[in-house]
This record gives sequence, C-alpha cells and structure tokens, in this order.
Amino acid sequence: MDGVTAKPDPLIHPITRLSICGLLAAGADWVEFAALRDAAGVSDSVLSKQSRVLEDAGYLEVRKGAVGRRPRTWFRLTPEGRRATQGHLAWLAQLEEAVSASTQDTLSMSLASISIRDASET
Amino acid sequence: MRDSASDPAALEPLELLRVQRSRLADRMRPPWWYLPGTAIVWALFFVGPFASRSFASPASVSTWAIVIPIVGVCFALQWGMTRAIGIKAGPRPLRLLRDGLFYYRPGRPAGIAIAVVCFAALGAEASLIRHGLPVAAIAVAVLAVAANVAAMQALQLAVRRDLRDGGWTA
Repeated sequence: MDGVTAKPDPLIHPITRLSICGLLAAGADWVEFAALRDAAGVSDSVLSKQSRVLEDAGYLEVRKGAVGRRPRTWFRLTPEGRRATQGHLAWLAQLEEAVSASTQDTLSMSLASISIRDASET
Repeated sequence: MRDSASDPAALEPLELLRVQRSRLADRMRPPWWYLPGTAIVWALFFVGPFASRSFASPASVSTWAIVIPIVGVCFALQWGMTRAIGIKAGPRPLRLLRDGLFYYRPGRPAGIAIAVVCFAALGAEASLIRHGLPVAAIAVAVLAVAANVAAMQALQLAVRRDLRDGGWTA
C-alpha cells in the first residue's frame, strides 16, 4: 500500500461498512449485490442501508441494471473510497502489530518472572 | 470507536475481513461452460496458420474471419462469467509498486506461459505446414490448446488467491 496514510475513518469503522469496503477493495472491479451480501454475511436490507450511506459519502459507486426481468445492482469503490479503505486497513494492521508486540512483551516478561522464581526456589 | 492498541477486540474486524474475502474468492469459480469455452477460443486461435491465406491452401480465409470470432467468443465468455459469478475482475497489472519496490502479482508465470506457448506454437505450426507436415502441425496445435487451457486455469487460481489475500489492500 504505497503512499497510503494509516488513519482511522469513522465512516468505515462500523463492521458492516468495513466489510463492504474491504471486500470491494480486495481486487475486484465491480461486485454484484448478491455476491457482496453473501460474502459479507448480511441481509439485503442491511446491505442496502449501509451501501446508501457509503454512496452518499462518495465512497461507493452504484450501477443498476437488469438481466431479463431481474434487477441487478453492482458496486465498486470510488478512488476516494479506496484511499479511505486502504488507510483504515493500514491503521488496523498497525494495531494488529502493536497488539501482537505487546502480547509478545507480556509473554516474555511472564517467562522471565517464571525463570527468576524457579531460580530463587532452587 | 475502539482506539486502543492493547484491545485485542480491535483485531476482530481484520480477522472477519479475511474470512469474508475468502468467501468472495470461493465464489469466483468459473461456471462449467467456461473451460470448454476457453478451449474453443484457443482452438480457433491455433487454427489460424492452417486457414491463413499466406499458405495459399484451398480452404484459406481472411485473417479477420479468424480474429473476429475469437474476439466475439472472448467477450461472450467474459460477459457470461461476470453475470454468473457476480464479480468483475478486469485486466490487472502483473506487478505492483509498494514501498518503492515492485512486487510481482500472482498469475504472472501463467501469463508469461500463455504468451510463450502462443509464439512457439504458431511458429512451429507455420514451419511444419511449410515443410509439408500437417499432421505434426495439428499435434502441436492440440498440445498448445491443452497447455493454454491449463495456464488459464492457473491464472484463474492466481486471481482467486490474490482476492483472498486482499489484492491492493494486502
């Protein structure tokens, strides 16, 4: 993610919107409503509502069409939405690193205290 | 908003996103007709040297008569697959600039293999036809179709892997 500033985006942070943006940023150009709904594991109404919020914010582009009589809705991220998603995911990745580092520190401190205790007991 | 590095719950979204990306990648399996379709496209492509006017055969046709059906079938396959799976993944660069360094994307070996097979097989076919060995040329064409269909499968697999790994966001 070259040139991406890691920063949280309050609009993307709610889990459903993060799922929508994260899935659309994964590499596909356009993703159809049903494919996105199934991958995100949400209901039709939740996806409709959250995608409208993202569309109003200018993060999402929506294209409506039809195959025969069946309406089809396609989604893709706008450049602004892609930047915001990449920044938010980079921020989450930094959090992940920080948490794993702090867990590692805690673990090594615990191991050190155990070995000191063992040494003092013997 | 959770903003604490010491809060392991903040990591749940990333793990969930990995699972969801995996679900999306699993959905990107081509329908049953895609494989025979790609075989037809490559068969049309490697029939070219046999039908080309440059060999003045009785059955020779214009190059356009070969190119137009190939392009038509390619578009039909892509259109059908996009509608069937609900995901459109267009042409993607084979390398990616990240932190000032170029990284090769998955699928590059398959892409190179397809190009090499095309050039080598077309050259070999043309040479064999000129030397009056049409049966050997047909054998080369059949092998080339099989190789390119396999390479297309590998390319699809790589695109799925890229999607699972997060593509641009990885």
